[in-house]
Amino acid sequence: MKPSNRRSLLTLSALIISGAAISPAAWAQAKETLKFGLAMPLSGSQALYGADQVKAAQWAVADINAKGGVNGKPLEMILLDTQADPQVGINAVKRLTSVDKVPVFITAWSAVVKAVAPIANRDKALELSVGANSPEIAKLGDYVYTTFPLAEVDVSALAKYTYTTLGKKTAAVMYINNDSGVEGAAIYKTVFEKAGGKIVAYEAYDTKATEFTGALLKVRVANPEMIHIHGLVSDLPQVIAQMRQLGLKQRVSTYSAGYNPKVIEQLGAAAEGLIVTSLAPGATDNANVGAFVTRWKDTEKRVPNGLPYTQYLYDGPYLVAELYKWVEKNKLPATGENMRKALTTVKNFELPMTGALQVGDDHRVAKPVYLLTVDKGQFVPLATIK
Amino acid sequence: MIDITILLQIIWTGLAASTYAVLFAVAFSLVLKVVKVWNFAQAGIMALSFYVMYAAHSKLGLLLLPSVGIGLAATIAASVFMDTYGLQTLRARNSPNLTFFIFTLVVSEFLAYLLAMIFGTEPVALTQSIMSGVTIVNGIVISHWDLQALAVTVALLALLYFFIARTRDGQFMAAVADNPDLSRLYGINVKRAYVITFVIAAVLITAGMYLFGTRAAMIPNTPMQMMLFAVISTLLGGMGRIFGAALAAIGLSLIQGLSIFVIPSQWQGLILYVFLFVTILFFPQGVSLQKFRQLTRLGSK
Repeated sequence: MKPSNRRSLLTLSALIISGAAISPAAWAQAKETLKFGLAMPLSGSQALYGADQVKAAQWAVADINAKGGVNGKPLEMILLDTQADPQVGINAVKRLTSVDKVPVFITAWSAVVKAVAPIANRDKALELSVGANSPEIAKLGDYVYTTFPLAEVDVSALAKYTYTTLGKKTAAVMYINNDSGVEGAAIYKTVFEKAGGKIVAYEAYDTKATEFTGALLKVRVANPEMIHIHGLVSDLPQVIAQMRQLGLKQRVSTYSAGYNPKVIEQLGAAAEGLIVTSLAPGATDNANVGAFVTRWKDTEKRVPNGLPYTQYLYDGPYLVAELYKWVEKNKLPATGENMRKALTTVKNFELPMTGALQVGDDHRVAKPVYLLTVDKGQFVPLATIK
Repeated sequence: MIDITILLQIIWTGLAASTYAVLFAVAFSLVLKVVKVWNFAQAGIMALSFYVMYAAHSKLGLLLLPSVGIGLAATIAASVFMDTYGLQTLRARNSPNLTFFIFTLVVSEFLAYLLAMIFGTEPVALTQSIMSGVTIVNGIVISHWDLQALAVTVALLALLYFFIARTRDGQFMAAVADNPDLSRLYGINVKRAYVITFVIAAVLITAGMYLFGTRAAMIPNTPMQMMLFAVISTLLGGMGRIFGAALAAIGLSLIQGLSIFVIPSQWQGLILYVFLFVTILFFPQGVSLQKFRQLTRLGSK
């Protein structure tokens, strides 16, 4: 081969290699991208859930970009770890708003959502809380919104349903002594009593407790028709197991934390009749959810940890895309102020995994509550409360 | 008016639930007595013991008994490894007590992180179901787990008593606990005594984690709280009195359970810290009648 031919071949090879090296992602980078932040726990005790939620968001970004992004511009998600720790979360969000200059970011876990709110308000970056449910989130400032119904939504619906539809006139409440437990139990009590019912026992337990006999015996003496437990997936099965062993046969309800196959696995027949809530539709309510679960099984060989939360996280980038669409349509610069304007102006969104989303002026969202019950060792739909 | 059935139920359940706490307290107290180390690595070893049993049973599908055997082997190996390559190295360097303290804490945290990385932080129980059959005797609910837990604990404590009182190795351990330098002069293999101590502690830990894991779910950090209970029991029972630690664990567990009559249940955990505070301040050598009398005399002056 002549030297000139060899040079041409080398040049051609270099061109082909460099062309191949420019992946679609690189092409996307070369274009103007529409940035947003995602601050989630990727390490630490909550990483198991955080990683699956991040994966769902990554799939959503890939799906949106595969369909041309927003007006031909791809979404670019900047992902940072919060470890579900407020201080780490603050550092992550500071970077997102100051260095990456994102006009909107998504985060979760109530403690982190609360801790980073002052940064969102100060830097005028729209903070979307996706998955945290502390009622205080609605009061964190102008730039903090949630796409996830706050605790009062499902617990209120459950308490009303218990009194009106199930016809239970007395109930006992047992709750874990942390923010979520105290707030959730108080909401249940208020709503149940307002509906006309009576709370005959109201017992808290320590966050580290493994022995609940004393509190359960108090509940047994009160003899309620229904028992509501506001605990975590770590203690809920133990409370129910000890309850059944002590001869309490009442029907039990809990909130979305109980919507976990582990609860049925650990309790067996003792879980029968348990009522749980879910704030995301199941496969029977939304065809996309079935495909989403199949995608998990095909790619990860398992179902996700905390399916409803991953559904909300999948919808997160779709919501961001809608906000960008509105901003571009109105030829406005992509600032946090305009993102907030887009959210409060459009108000109603149709999202693939969780359906209709209505953003209220009070920084809360209206969503249907799905009640499920354990029947023959499986969670089955019980009612949908709109 | 306190209902007698409720009172008896709390006492019975408290007694049964104290079993694994007793085993952890005795393991902790034994290591402190013989090896003279506040072994905070026990929490990490407890977590390791549980997760090895869990992996063998739930992941590899082995029967529970062989899984416990594998868990025991791993716990013994980890304990002896830590003593041989950690504590003995520090001892050879004449390291101060603070170094031992930091080292054992680091081992505990390291193991907890490692296990969280491997098994995640989703709570898991040793067996798929945590339900146990029950028998009702005069209105008192007695679960099959309660009976099993009491039987295992009593048997292990009896064996330990026999081992310390009647075997040569047990007597050597007592001698080393009393004075390691003098024991060495008399030809006692001090290192062997330490290894045997850690092996016994590993047996107690594995049994305790088996009992806990068949009743409740846990995450890698859970044993830290359980170990705190063991530390308080050791302090209350009196340092060097291993069966005193066992009695203290039972007492603490019962007091915690019975406190429901006077304080809201969410504050039952607080009692542990009150006892820790009072013990450190007034009974640094453990609770004894003699000390009580001294304090009463001081109070009456």
